[in-house]
Amino acid sequence: MLTWIARRVLAVVPVLFGVTLAVFSMLFLVPGDPVKMMLAEFVTTPDQIAQMRAQLHLDEPILKQYGRFVTSAARGDLGTSIRSRRPVTTEIGENVWNTAQLAMAAMLVAVAIGIPLGLLAALARSTWLDVASMGTALLGVSMPSFWLGLLLIFVFSLHLGWFPATGGGSLLHLVLPSVTLGTIAAAIIARLTRSSMLEVLGQDYVRTARAKGLGGFAVVVRHALKNALIPIITIFGLQFGNLLAGAVIVETVFSRPGLGRLIVGGILSKDFPLVQGTVLFVATVYVLINVLVDVAYAYADPRIRFGSP
Amino acid sequence: MRPSRARLRLGATVLMGLLLVVAAAAPRHVNAQGGGTLVLGLDQEPPTLDPHASPSAVTYQIIASVTECLLYKAPDGKLSPWLAESWTTAKDGRSVTFKLRRDVKFHDGTPFNADAVKFNFDRIVDPKFKAGGARAQLAGYAGSKVLDEFTVQVSFETPYAPFLTYAAAGTLSLVSPKAVRETGDAVHTRPIGTGPFMIKDYVAKDHTTMVRNPAYNRKAPGSERSGPPPLEAVVWKFIPEAGTRVTTLESGETQGVYNVPAQSLPRLEKNSALRIEKAPWPGVPRIWLLNTTKPPMDDVRVRRAINYAIDKEAFLATVFKGTALKANAPLTAVMLDDASLRQAYPFDQAKSKSLLGEAGWQPGGDGIRAKGGQRLEIVLNAIEYGGGPDPTAQLIQSSLHEVGIDLKIKAQARPPWYEDNYRCATHGPVMFLRATDPDGVFSLFHSSLVGSNFNWSCVKNPKLDALLEQGRRESDPGKRRAIYLSIAQLALDEALTVPLVDELSVWAFRAGVQGVRYNFNAYPSLADATLRR
Repeated sequence: MLTWIARRVLAVVPVLFGVTLAVFSMLFLVPGDPVKMMLAEFVTTPDQIAQMRAQLHLDEPILKQYGRFVTSAARGDLGTSIRSRRPVTTEIGENVWNTAQLAMAAMLVAVAIGIPLGLLAALARSTWLDVASMGTALLGVSMPSFWLGLLLIFVFSLHLGWFPATGGGSLLHLVLPSVTLGTIAAAIIARLTRSSMLEVLGQDYVRTARAKGLGGFAVVVRHALKNALIPIITIFGLQFGNLLAGAVIVETVFSRPGLGRLIVGGILSKDFPLVQGTVLFVATVYVLINVLVDVAYAYADPRIRFGSP
Repeated sequence: MRPSRARLRLGATVLMGLLLVVAAAAPRHVNAQGGGTLVLGLDQEPPTLDPHASPSAVTYQIIASVTECLLYKAPDGKLSPWLAESWTTAKDGRSVTFKLRRDVKFHDGTPFNADAVKFNFDRIVDPKFKAGGARAQLAGYAGSKVLDEFTVQVSFETPYAPFLTYAAAGTLSLVSPKAVRETGDAVHTRPIGTGPFMIKDYVAKDHTTMVRNPAYNRKAPGSERSGPPPLEAVVWKFIPEAGTRVTTLESGETQGVYNVPAQSLPRLEKNSALRIEKAPWPGVPRIWLLNTTKPPMDDVRVRRAINYAIDKEAFLATVFKGTALKANAPLTAVMLDDASLRQAYPFDQAKSKSLLGEAGWQPGGDGIRAKGGQRLEIVLNAIEYGGGPDPTAQLIQSSLHEVGIDLKIKAQARPPWYEDNYRCATHGPVMFLRATDPDGVFSLFHSSLVGSNFNWSCVKNPKLDALLEQGRRESDPGKRRAIYLSIAQLALDEALTVPLVDELSVWAFRAGVQGVRYNFNAYPSLADATLRR
């Protein structure tokens, strides 16, 4: 088991290497001179432009620049934001908890809606309930989050006045953004739960359990659902990436502080170190979460770890 | 399958994690609505609140009641005393002596005096300091001399008349020297000024709060009352998404929002619970700088024809919807207004067509004019914002098509857009400038600035250069106005630009918000503001 985990963790290294390469090349893929672009709003002298170039080490050979980027990132130094003039790690630190809160709450919403909906559809297969549940899921996955967000603000903030539309800080502030963000993931989880449940319900051991005279609830929850949930664990990790991507939009619509707003603000103000650092951080978190999910998966399903060479 | 202990532990950990989320999400700040707290929604977060470091108008919108200036420029353009009781310009125009108020203290208790003024201006030009718009406003700064505790003389290398206007702009407002020395970078989120409000907290991407300065015992300029302001606190929330921002006003979550989108304005104007306030932006209007060097636009008749062909009323009716007025000159009407400017280019397609005919461009087969087999094509340099075609560019395109000019829109990212402007590669961009002194047109038209900001008409005209330099030196207000009127008339006669619209700073408030005043910069002063529930 330990060797399996170790191998899985080692496999992360080339992935992260690729991530640094992609993030680093960002600066060079954008048309125009990055320094001139960053300073476009300021009145500058040639001296200041040269100074900025030196500060960002853009005057060095490109390989050396990349080497510096990777080694300082490995040491936890992601550079300094041009706009705020503070370390990028400080900026990330101030925002990461807000986004983590949003992502976890959204995941909670997704599970709370998705699993019961999928279960219902599977148990009531080919009835109007199944069609209605899957129809709802289709609707959920098709709605763009900025539209759903504005719709929720319109109904629950403007007309009913139940929840504030903007800001962060309290649980009330978290409700509308997490519902917006969680709906898409809920739809995907619902569809997966349904198909996984249908597969498991057709298995021999379920028939055996029924033949033993177990009640419907016990069979469904204790025997079938538990096994049906295994593939759903995987989707957690993948959905987490979607949640981070969705946070970019949801945080802007609801004016919530967070990593999404940090990246959008960085892009708009052409703050390259900030964007590079934050994207690198988010990508790393995404990769690590998927490692954790793999490990959890192996934990839950012995076939995986024994099956691997 | 029985649940193993390990699996249970995993479940418990997840559950604990979720409980932690709930605990951390519990209310942190108490009700911000009650007791005279005004909540305002802004369209963006300021890059910094430091008046000397910011390149952005949003900074000064927030701190207009936090930091104060030596002088005050009223909406009618007149200068009056603020932190300086009086001022005298030296005969040679190279220095200004300010007599300062003696009863002023910064929010941290530091006394305001001549040393503080010197410290602030020296800070802006310090090469180690990354100054924003303030740096250009102190162009040619030679130093400040402390004549006595409350008298300071600010000198320049050459006569520099715009300085008085800038001494009244937020960019040169004054912060506590002690706070800058001791807290350094904290000025970015907490500038310590002398004004009726003090910054209390700053939460990135969320809001900043300012509270009443109980020690404020003066009458802020433009204000009708002296002493501390009526409002206890003002919360500025950063709400970038326009739809959300407007909704927070309608639901009462905010009591005022800035930058009302044109498409929501008619709806909000009909809502009797709300009130719209508009203040004209000073500076250069939204304007098309015509590249005077690139054929066929090197022909002044073509440039004039373009001016007659553009239907500005259509801009106001379709795109700007009450958020702008018709522009007549390279300076907005609040900066310079004259009948000669207003009458320069009426919308007149017949005149436009005859000018093009005179220039040799005859109607062609496809509705586009041609000369010697060449179609009349011009290229407008436009920024691609990612939100689809720019409606302003499209309107120009359709206006010009009616007189037989084929306008191509070159929509591109910002960096190549700048590059093309520097290289005079297209027939010019549409841009605008916010400036409180008419000297702002120097950067538009002076020949030394072709290839940099912002002479994108690529004009080199000795007469224009002489006038621009003269305007910079002349300190008599009457004579200055005459100079800038000549500049505007010359620019119109040569058709260096197409002035499109003068934009307005548009605010929407709940009806209970009263007493918001605007300075010449169109920034709101909240010293008199009250909130009735």
